Amino acid sequence: MIHFDHLTYTYPDSSQPVLVDVTLHIAEGEFALMTGPSGAGKSTLLRCLNGLVPHFTGGRLSGSATIAGHDPIAEGPQMLSRIVGFVFQDPEAQFVVDRVEDEIAFALENAAIPPDDMCARVEEVLNLLDLIPLRNRPLETLSGGEKQRIAIAAALALRPRILVLDEPTSQLDPQSAEEVLGALVRLNRDLGLTVVLAEHRLERVLPHADCLVYLPGPGKPVLSGPLRRTLRQVDLTPPLVTLGKALGWEPLPLTVKEGRRFAAKSQTPKPQVSEKQSAIRNPQFAIRNLHFAYDREDVLRGVNLEMAPGELVALMGRNGSGKTTLLKCIVGLLRPQRGKITLASESLIGRETADICRSVGYLPQEPDDLLFADTVVEELRVTLRNHGLLDSPPIIPAALLDRLGLSGLAASYPRDLSVGQRQRVALGAVTITRPQLLLLDEPTRGMDYPAKRELVRLLREWQAEGMGVLLVTHDVEMVAQAANRVVMLSQGDVIADDLPAEVLTATPPSPPEAGGSALSSLFAPQVARLFPGTGWLTVEDALAGLNAGVSR
Amino acid sequence: MIDVRAWLLWALTTLVVASSTRNPLYVVLLLLIVALVGVVCAVGRVANPPYVPLRFAAVAIPLAALFNGLTAHLGDTVLLRLPDWLPLLGGPVTLEALVFGATNGLTLTAIFSGFAVFNQVTPVRDLVQLTPRAFHETGVVLSITLTFIPQTTSSLARIREAQAVRGHRVRGLRDWLPIFIPLLISGLERSMGLAEAMVARGYGAVSDRAQPLRTQGPLALGLFALLGGWLAFLFLPSWKRAAVGGMVVGAGLIIGVLWLAGRAVPRTAYRTHRWTARDTLIVLGCGLTLATVLLPLPLVDRGTLYYTPYPRLTPPAFDPLIGLGLLGLLAPAVVSAGGQAGCDCSLRSERESQTDQNSGQEQEHG
Repeated sequence: MIHFDHLTYTYPDSSQPVLVDVTLHIAEGEFALMTGPSGAGKSTLLRCLNGLVPHFTGGRLSGSATIAGHDPIAEGPQMLSRIVGFVFQDPEAQFVVDRVEDEIAFALENAAIPPDDMCARVEEVLNLLDLIPLRNRPLETLSGGEKQRIAIAAALALRPRILVLDEPTSQLDPQSAEEVLGALVRLNRDLGLTVVLAEHRLERVLPHADCLVYLPGPGKPVLSGPLRRTLRQVDLTPPLVTLGKALGWEPLPLTVKEGRRFAAKSQTPKPQVSEKQSAIRNPQFAIRNLHFAYDREDVLRGVNLEMAPGELVALMGRNGSGKTTLLKCIVGLLRPQRGKITLASESLIGRETADICRSVGYLPQEPDDLLFADTVVEELRVTLRNHGLLDSPPIIPAALLDRLGLSGLAASYPRDLSVGQRQRVALGAVTITRPQLLLLDEPTRGMDYPAKRELVRLLREWQAEGMGVLLVTHDVEMVAQAANRVVMLSQGDVIADDLPAEVLTATPPSPPEAGGSALSSLFAPQVARLFPGTGWLTVEDALAGLNAGVSR
Repeated sequence: MIDVRAWLLWALTTLVVASSTRNPLYVVLLLLIVALVGVVCAVGRVANPPYVPLRFAAVAIPLAALFNGLTAHLGDTVLLRLPDWLPLLGGPVTLEALVFGATNGLTLTAIFSGFAVFNQVTPVRDLVQLTPRAFHETGVVLSITLTFIPQTTSSLARIREAQAVRGHRVRGLRDWLPIFIPLLISGLERSMGLAEAMVARGYGAVSDRAQPLRTQGPLALGLFALLGGWLAFLFLPSWKRAAVGGMVVGAGLIIGVLWLAGRAVPRTAYRTHRWTARDTLIVLGCGLTLATVLLPLPLVDRGTLYYTPYPRLTPPAFDPLIGLGLLGLLAPAVVSAGGQAGCDCSLRSERESQTDQNSGQEQEHG
């Protein structure tokens, strides 16, 4: 179905090719997973499938490509749109009109499909992706997962034989991502649609994929082939696979269910009664009985939280549980109706955001919203200037850039950098004042495994210096690695506040409408699900624990 | 659902009526009709439909009366006299001038109300869809703009917050730069992303051959004839007939060429609003109103349209036939009250899907 032969491609204005001598075959009806570190050329290779590269991007291309018998390089993306449906990372950025049905019909209108046929096709894709109840809704009122399903429906309207998706779930929360993935699996299984999906977070996708395409980065050959065989050669894998490889489990487990068969055979210690979290004596940061309501709708209902200096607290919970609202209340972007917030015994309530943010660093979900200067180092200087600290900076910008691993990029234009690098520039821009408390809102969205590891290392260094970190995230694996404590929010209430091993492995006492057991599986890391009752959260925990068991 | 073209005709008819009479009785009748149509047709779309025109009237009528009363010193019924040394204002203030001003305010209110109702009952997107097919690209750009507005608003709010958390305060004009630049750049990035997404969905595959030379030639000729005719009409009184002919030929040529060019754009529409009997009824109603106001019909006293309170206030005359003619504008209210909305594409296909669900999917995709 898809054949690339010795494909080499160089972007205009670049001397180094991003794809070198790529040879790849994907059979009809396969679910192909494409992965690799940021900047390895995944998006570029996907765009070769429908001719966007080189027709839309320019640049130099050699080698040949055959997609369902067509040549995308010769025919171009418009002609290939009938064979390849393409879904982009950010669902909002691909919408032309503002209503669900019209968006799906857009491609059909342009292809001059007769009205009766058009109605039938719109109906068909609405049915396929369970979108019938949403058909008349304005797009702006939909959730991220719903929007991405509509983008998929719009791509399928022309009845393509191949569906290509470029990190379609990287901007979504776990529930929405699951929703989108479920739809893709159905399309692949039931209709035999060939799916090519680029993704960083493999834990969700691996169980559904047939083959893996791994782009290791510039200069190294692309690996591709059946899933398990290729996974053995890849080092960026989810915890379950990493553990399976370390312990020589064969065949390599892809789901927790498969892994449990091996885990059950290995000796695990008796469940230990862990010591209960003791109360924090001298909290550096405290929230007491905080209430906030938007238009009389309660979002936060009496939240209490304390943090010791140098503590990393993960704030978790489903969408709409009030996590981001809590962060905005802390930095004064929202005014809580009741309650107290204190940092180093000083109240933050009623103070101006700009004033609070001298001692509280806050990194919002979209780091790009912060970046506007011409160079990386200038971004840090702008913050210092805003606070009137340019002459006596608490940290020398060059030193902070060095720490962030950006010293080589000080003179680069921030928006040209990769997602992980931009994230770190924004982090620099909010921490150059040396805040006592750092608030992070979903910092790992769209990041690959190495970028996440780098972030964890950086946070650990700052913690050692006494900076408290409040981390809002859906990324359980990141929490398992980095957090000292986990606070679980549900409908504006704190429903759990304890050590990660306690919160992430137990079923939290959630209200029944939140779906108790579903919640626990959403917030449990793979290792915890593999070895329940051990309190292990990460691959390191499991390997250390298993070795101790063997030596005993 | 009433067709947007029928609504357009209705709005234009209210405009024509409001601007062809100064008789307060007719204008009040027109206002009542428009308000009734608003209440019946715009109900459920906006919280309080008649409220906005009422507020407008409360300002426009007294203001226009006061302005005309103080500046136009005509009329016999002097109410008071302002000292003559006051520039412009000095002189008698008459009842007639106040009434004339108030009538103007009333007319403005009628025009405003007509468009307020039109605005409430027709989504902007439906209007955009009226773009002639020859200007298909322009229509797409307009609809993208409509989609971009809410996206840009939310991104503006986000950027303001993001800059505030790094200590930024907006004090002067220069302080808007850190907000404006990310907004502009993200807008440009989004445009590039959208362009790519549109190309990937086949946009532009069939419109490359739009506007060939054979349409451009006649188009230029038509414009030349229209413009030349108009200039001749203005400056060469003896050529009047030929000038009018030139304008008609030019306009016809332009419309014809655009129609032909539109047919050459291979494109279909998903929301094909079906022209129903209700729409025809509205057209007939508007036609009736326009005929009574504009055509010299027997038995109709069109003189009653031209009312002036000067030099001495007299009660305006009222011709019941013209009143009846204005009732034609009630057609949208009558047909809307008559029953449920008509059948559009989505409704139709919903019914079809219920009868033969899932048929034809397997083989198409497999």
